[in-house]
Amino acid sequence: MATPPQVKALACPNCGAGVQVRTYARTLNVVCVNCLTVLDASTPELQILQKFEGATRIRPLVPLGKRGKLESEAWENIGFQVREIVVDGVPYQWHEYLLFNPYKGYRYLTEYDGHWNDVKTLKSIPSPCTVSGKPAVQVLGRTYRHFQSAEATTVYVMGEFPWQVRVGDQVRVADYVAPPFMVSSETTADEVTWSIGEYTDGRRIFQAFELKEAPPAPRGVYANQPSPYAGRTKRAWTTWLFLNILLFALMFFFSIFTGNQVVLDKSYYFTTASKGEASFVTDVFELKGRISNVELTTSTDLDNDWAYFGFALVNEATGQGYDFGREVSCYYGRDSDGSWSEGGRNDSVVIPSVPPGRYYLRVEPEMQSDASGGGSADHRMNYRLQLRRDVPYNAFFWFAALLLLVPPVFTSLRRAGFETRRWNESDYAGGSSGGSDSSSSDD
Amino acid sequence: MIFGKLFLTYGLAILALVGIAEYRGWSLNTVNEVKGVPKTIRNNPGAYRSHFMFLPRYIGGK
Repeated sequence: MATPPQVKALACPNCGAGVQVRTYARTLNVVCVNCLTVLDASTPELQILQKFEGATRIRPLVPLGKRGKLESEAWENIGFQVREIVVDGVPYQWHEYLLFNPYKGYRYLTEYDGHWNDVKTLKSIPSPCTVSGKPAVQVLGRTYRHFQSAEATTVYVMGEFPWQVRVGDQVRVADYVAPPFMVSSETTADEVTWSIGEYTDGRRIFQAFELKEAPPAPRGVYANQPSPYAGRTKRAWTTWLFLNILLFALMFFFSIFTGNQVVLDKSYYFTTASKGEASFVTDVFELKGRISNVELTTSTDLDNDWAYFGFALVNEATGQGYDFGREVSCYYGRDSDGSWSEGGRNDSVVIPSVPPGRYYLRVEPEMQSDASGGGSADHRMNYRLQLRRDVPYNAFFWFAALLLLVPPVFTSLRRAGFETRRWNESDYAGGSSGGSDSSSSDD
Repeated sequence: MIFGKLFLTYGLAILALVGIAEYRGWSLNTVNEVKGVPKTIRNNPGAYRSHFMFLPRYIGGK
């Protein structure tokens, strides 16, 4: 402000205390700070309009007469009122501060449970529309979804106002949100006033007015409070996409550049009729290159039967062995539920981290024998063993893809939770709010 | 922003681990590593008994 505003001092006709009128040319009502009597500022004798009968006094967080700078402009707090809505029998009160600048006019600050909004009167009239079948308005290129409508009552006033204000005044309010913005209408019998508010950090307000104490911590989620997860969710999914591209590039690289070399490929026959030793060893083969995996594929012609293989991959020189067993079973049939099948004729296993060297495979096949199964027929099978060195192993890639999903899914769930808490305070609590602040920019 | 960097670091660590696993030939399959398998097995395969042969096994069928 270039020059300090002129202040007119008058005496309260109710209590005799001094009443200051800062914007006397525009002020219609002034409230005595001492006795809270509402006075008519338009008459020289300050006619009493309403006496305060409440027992409690409310201390505004921004004191009356306090000046501060918002967006490099000086503003003075000249009026304070408390308004209340009752939802399901529960009263909810919020505080409104009327700020004045002789060159800019008026603007408002509202505070509810530590959530602040910087409010200005809208000069454009919003046009009604619907979003997902629910009422909304459009103004200044943005769509605001209806949040709540209620009857608001003024329960406490202090300072001066450019309109007729009384305790007990009632207006119909409707809030529409597109975080961090909120458009509100106040409807009386005579007029509809539209305003637009922007969610503001309380610390910014307290710094602007050079208030020494800390602002009250916000509680809960406010109607137009921007979601801290909105931008984070988008970034998380972008990062996820980038990492998945890298993952599939890595997968492609290994599928192309792994050796995938066949080192053994032989077919065999087994029957339980043979009374000799079933186990045997293969020829020696060489596993070349670095420490890498070896895949053993067993293909059989089993038909409603099973076979078990005891395998040992043994290094001829060092005696280092990799001992493992595999079962192959293939059953199928038809019953009252229809046809069914279990298992398969083939099996595959990847032996991890096998050093290079000369190896052989010890194989010990086994099938159901008469002694163990009680049957009388011999069991037989043809089978083929194929060993491949350095094969691509995709299980880790799919596992990694799952792990990469964790952060974005977690963030998305947090965001959804935040939106649920927001809309739980609305007229659409417990229902389908749409759950997103997408009508504003995501970030 | 910190979350984004943490996620990127986490993701790159996973990719690095997958790359190492793939290069070193890791696998989720279980094998029993035994040392000092006697060379006589080549001449007498039946003398060796895999411990997997004593595990209970499924004998199939619905």
